[in-house]
Amino acid sequence: MSLLPFELVTTVGAVLALLLRSNARVATAIAVGGLFAAAVTALAISPGQSVVIGGAGIATTEYLRLFLVLGATVGLLLAVVGQAVGSARDAAAVTLGVLATSALALSLPDARIAVLAATAGGGFGALVTLAPTGGRVGATVGTRVLRATVVAGTMAVAATAWIGRDLTDLAAQPVVFGLAYLAFALAVAIRFGAIPLHTWAAPLTDNVPETALPLVTAWAPAAFAIVALAWADASIAPLLVDLDAVRFVVLAIAISSIVLASVAALIQDDIEHIVGYAIIGDAGVILLAIAALDPAAWAPARTWILAFVVARSAFAAWAAATRSVFFTGRLTDLRGWAIRSPALGVILGVVVVASVGVPGLAAFDARGTIVALAIDGPLGALVLLGALSPLLYYGRVLLVGVGRPAGGAASARSLRPVVSPVDLTDLRSWLTRTWSDNLAVTATGGAALLAILALAVSFGAFGASSAAAGLPPTLDVSRESFAPEDPQAPVGSDAPSAPPADGEAGEAPSAPPSDDEPSEAPPAPSPDGSPSGAPSP
Amino acid sequence: MTPIIAIVALAVVGGSVVVVSSRDPRTVLLALAVALVATPLVADPLATPLGLAARLVGAILATYLLWVVARHRGDRGVLTSPTGGSRIGWPAEILLAAGAFVVGYAAHGLGAPADGPPLASAAGFAVAALAVAPVVTGQDVIRVGTGLLLLINAALLVRTGLGGTPGDLEQLVTAAMLIVLAGAVAALAASARADGSGGYAYADPARVRVRREPDAHPREQL
Repeated sequence: MSLLPFELVTTVGAVLALLLRSNARVATAIAVGGLFAAAVTALAISPGQSVVIGGAGIATTEYLRLFLVLGATVGLLLAVVGQAVGSARDAAAVTLGVLATSALALSLPDARIAVLAATAGGGFGALVTLAPTGGRVGATVGTRVLRATVVAGTMAVAATAWIGRDLTDLAAQPVVFGLAYLAFALAVAIRFGAIPLHTWAAPLTDNVPETALPLVTAWAPAAFAIVALAWADASIAPLLVDLDAVRFVVLAIAISSIVLASVAALIQDDIEHIVGYAIIGDAGVILLAIAALDPAAWAPARTWILAFVVARSAFAAWAAATRSVFFTGRLTDLRGWAIRSPALGVILGVVVVASVGVPGLAAFDARGTIVALAIDGPLGALVLLGALSPLLYYGRVLLVGVGRPAGGAASARSLRPVVSPVDLTDLRSWLTRTWSDNLAVTATGGAALLAILALAVSFGAFGASSAAAGLPPTLDVSRESFAPEDPQAPVGSDAPSAPPADGEAGEAPSAPPSDDEPSEAPPAPSPDGSPSGAPSP
Repeated sequence: MTPIIAIVALAVVGGSVVVVSSRDPRTVLLALAVALVATPLVADPLATPLGLAARLVGAILATYLLWVVARHRGDRGVLTSPTGGSRIGWPAEILLAAGAFVVGYAAHGLGAPADGPPLASAAGFAVAALAVAPVVTGQDVIRVGTGLLLLINAALLVRTGLGGTPGDLEQLVTAAMLIVLAGAVAALAASARADGSGGYAYADPARVRVRREPDAHPREQL
């Protein structure tokens, strides 16, 4: 099973680095080395494999592989940028933990188990609050992150458990399906800090380094959202039940996140806050995909998620590099930043194209498709315009960048590399000196690489679009087994999103006919539990 | 329903009552251990030995991580700082749990036949009701953290009540999740305790919403 080396590397790396965090150099070396190894082992993952463990199992997909490769690469670059700006001690270790849990969540066909793994990822994310300020403030903010994670996890566990059983003898009104759907959708909204459920996320931007922010508010919730999408498409979307009332609630949260986050980012004076609200705004598009309840949203939603997490990581890296160069993150003190540091201006330009996009880019088209599927008519056009509202705050930042520097403008570090002749008699000192002389260059270089990567993903490079359109993990492929053959749902059965565990029913959720509801039985999800709109491999 | 499952379910609820009522972190953690260890036993049929072992190890390790923090003696040799404890007292907490237990038992299946024992749903509702107050109103890391562990434990109980006994892989992932969450609580609690003399208490809200310095220099260097 090619996923196991990745799980081993990330889990052991995360645990070791966190246990040794008192020795920052050793912990950082382990974590950065672990991220490098994670990228290599992620590349070695073979899609289409599965392993059965006690009635359930894990399976690999092309999307899982791409998500992990991108996650490890982005995590490595963010770790380097974080080290260069001196502000992200635990971030690399936390990245390993988030990747380990994300790998598990995305490889588990059974949503009931996958939500547990995705919740554990949020637990890792809370640890980034311990640095750099740490102490009581960090603990307070971290506990709030953990609270959001566990509350969301609890709602998701309850929702998946309620649906994931035989419901042929359902006595309650079928509309209660809507409650399960609403619970999971709200759980996703909580994890992303969507407005108005963002009270835990706002102080986070004040207290964690820029480079760690995407870990908590983008990467860790992304795995949770992908699980939610698979579950909703397989278990809720096929039902002939009127869920408009609860869909409106999810739509309202999604739209308010998209629009209000842009407004909030527009009026912020700190670039860290702009990054924070930018992430929340883009996450609103993911909520739109969940609100669409249409299998056709499956592929664009997963495409958008890939573009979103990488682009927002690049934006965060740009913010960190800018702070490193100018020693400030306040826009009022950054007047003329793009003129004094054109490289940072170019990087932000690339980030803007990657995150907002232009017609023809995979991410741009995916967002348009999601909006069209979620909302019809003029309101849909308005929401699509709202989705382009990040241009407003990007424009403000760029306007500040080309403005005339004020008299008291912050001084800027040079972005010219400084490399002294190699001293072979004291190589360690030379390396240390070269590193410390080039911190701003390193941070800016890392941000540039991330921006290019984000642009590539937005274009649909690395097979992002085809991977996103693929099936969710399924055990109906060549498998390895650590247990005797178990009562898996046979091919052709109407199992929900995942084959049930031992002793559990495997019927698809269905609702009895009632006077008010259509009498037809809900169509069963596709045999492998995949969204019915997902193409066959 | 078997008497043994009933006794174990009551042990889970009883442990949870102590978790939310006591002010001594060590007592809280002992009770938490009882609740977490007993939870996988509230199932019919019982999980496989591998699954049970995973949950047992997970529960003990999760509690031990918290214990490492709570057993710490300060500079003066004084054991730990108190946690919040219940504001309404343990008798009221017992009544609250009893009421939720009855509701959970009566609502077993939530509208459809369930695959697990009704006592799991009952215990899940009771533990969830107990967990709400510390999660919502708690003002220190240990109280909120243990409340969160109870909350997710309640969800696991309800999941068992609805869907039946989890399989081995689910038990393994559950155990790992509990360890991660408890480890995060322990790290956060240790961080709070090491900062000043406020024990595990939350920071002053004014300190949490601070604006970054206008001309901040690069922060923490390794």
